Amino acid sequence: MKTNDFIKATAKILVIEDDASISELICMNLEAAGYKTTAIMDGDAAEAFLRQTGREEIALALVDVMLPGKDGFSLMEDLQKAEIPVIYLTAKDDVISKVHGLKAGAEDYIVKPFEVLELLVRMEKVLKRTGRARTRIQVRDVIIDLKEHSVTKGGEKVSLKPMEYELLVTLASSKNVAFSREELLNRIWGCDYMGETRTVDVHIGQLRKKLDFYDVIRTISKTGYRLEDLD
Amino acid sequence: MKLWKKLSVVTVTILSAATLVSGAAVICRSMEYNQKKTAESGEQQLKSTAYAVSKDLENGILQGYSGVTKNSYIHFVMRKYDASKFILIENNRVVCNMTPFELVNPEDERWSGTEVNSLIQNRGGQYILISGKKVPSAGNVEYKLVLVQDISELYGDIRKQVYFSLIFVLSASLVSVFFIFLLTKRILRPLQELQKAAKEISGGNLKRRADVHTRDEIGAMAGAFNSMADRIEDQVTELSQVSEKRRQMLGSLTHELKTPMTSIIGYSDTLLNVNLKKEQQERALWHIYKECRRLERLSSKLMSLMGLYDNDSICMEEVSMQELFEQVVSLEEYHLKEKKIRLEYSCSMGTRRIDRDLFESLLINLIDNAIKASEEGAVISLMGQDNVITVRDQGCGIPADEIKRVTEAFYMVDKARSRKAGGCGLGLALCSMIAQLHGADLLIESEVGKGTSVTIAL
Repeated sequence: MKTNDFIKATAKILVIEDDASISELICMNLEAAGYKTTAIMDGDAAEAFLRQTGREEIALALVDVMLPGKDGFSLMEDLQKAEIPVIYLTAKDDVISKVHGLKAGAEDYIVKPFEVLELLVRMEKVLKRTGRARTRIQVRDVIIDLKEHSVTKGGEKVSLKPMEYELLVTLASSKNVAFSREELLNRIWGCDYMGETRTVDVHIGQLRKKLDFYDVIRTISKTGYRLEDLD
Repeated sequence: MKLWKKLSVVTVTILSAATLVSGAAVICRSMEYNQKKTAESGEQQLKSTAYAVSKDLENGILQGYSGVTKNSYIHFVMRKYDASKFILIENNRVVCNMTPFELVNPEDERWSGTEVNSLIQNRGGQYILISGKKVPSAGNVEYKLVLVQDISELYGDIRKQVYFSLIFVLSASLVSVFFIFLLTKRILRPLQELQKAAKEISGGNLKRRADVHTRDEIGAMAGAFNSMADRIEDQVTELSQVSEKRRQMLGSLTHELKTPMTSIIGYSDTLLNVNLKKEQQERALWHIYKECRRLERLSSKLMSLMGLYDNDSICMEEVSMQELFEQVVSLEEYHLKEKKIRLEYSCSMGTRRIDRDLFESLLINLIDNAIKASEEGAVISLMGQDNVITVRDQGCGIPADEIKRVTEAFYMVDKARSRKAGGCGLGLALCSMIAQLHGADLLIESEVGKGTSVTIAL
């Protein structure tokens, strides 16, 4: 596998948030889930960053509305010029600022406090919609090719049933984040699937066996499953 | 029933009754008078006729005449004196009656007296006055003269009078009803206006006043009503201002709570669900700890602020200001050393009546603010002279348009900087509250880049 190719395939996320601890929280989670991040703490610095030439490529920006210097809404113009899709983060949950943000061209809007999984799912949706989704995910020696829907382990193709593949992609695209059985059931089999959570356990068992992921897909007590892969 | 109607009806009823009664009394009186007059005139007539007849019949002029002659003479005499009215009775026997009436009982003793005896008889709608008397000294024969007179006309007159006065009373009543209604309605109209105003005020239009300017009791009542409305409006405005302030404060509080909460929830959620490296886990825990400490500071500041709002356990005592200053300075020593800031202080105030703990916290808050605003190596001064205490720094200063707002709860000039220094936007709110409790004002003067001075004028 070419490393270059993989890095390019990894989306870099710009986090513009003035509260240091929240900024770090977001970055911490995104990095655990397999994204790379760049954090900027105020509006003016963000503007300068966006205008600089030859800067690194950004797949998505998470922007706090209330920023010192230039505020989140005013940054929209620069972000659009740089062709970066925007998700606004804010403590304000009033409809007017929501509408304002979306009208200005934001892709989505998340109100603090938010759950890690919710943030990841929304980001993933936006990345997919704007054609910036990752094409490959690597977990140890397993490479998932999202374009060709194929999985290789150590270079050799592993054959997975469709539901097993979907489950692997879901877990791997939010690496290190725990999913509950209900969540997995909902996202992969759909809300109206009448199956039991046992179905999830059976498919997890298959994945572990086929990919030798016994220590990678961990059972988290009281929660569900987590695909663990720290760099 | 409306008051004006009630008043009108009562007035009209009483008025009509009074008119009727007095009218009836007048009519009765006049009837009595007329009767008496008629009777009197009849009496006069009877008396004079009786006297004349007695002259004609005296000296036994009829003695010896035959019955027919005697009868003719008597009729001749009677004709002289309007015989159509009189009946002559001789020894209880009617000897001459040319009236249209028949005397039922000629023996009646009533007419045997020398005085006139009268009575009024009602015979089938006809009123007849009958008066009689003895004809004086007509020898041994006893003559009685009876006057019979139809006085129905008199009663007819009275009936007419009653009829007219009834019509008069009725029409007068009608006219007075009209005027009384009109006038009472007019007099009571201010009451309606008063009622309308009260209704509108209770409906929420607190600006409404009763537009009544009469000089009577209703006018006075409207005046009292209006001043009551003024007071209510004032109080409601004051209340809504207070609640608006509370609402704003609650809004700021929610915001202040939400930021650390977002961190705490986010990091604990991450720790629970996300596979982190060891050092990241420690960072997450440190963040949770730090944000919890921030919340704790916030809540203790809030508690003391609330305490100042509600508590009456403020304990004023004579305190030596010199000692207080020394105490404050020693409490700040650690902070000052940390930032290498020098605190100069002087006090020439003697003792003042203050709450020691509150005042200490006021000074510490002000000095803390000065330390936060100052660069390393700067100088802060704490001066107490006469009745004025001043805390002055050479720090970053406050923009002029924000000075007014810095004492509002949760107001922060530079949020990022304030948070980094551990502030939560309550310090100056607390200070101004404490100053107020001591009857003092907090005067803040500042210039950006040059420094700030806060003065407490006791």
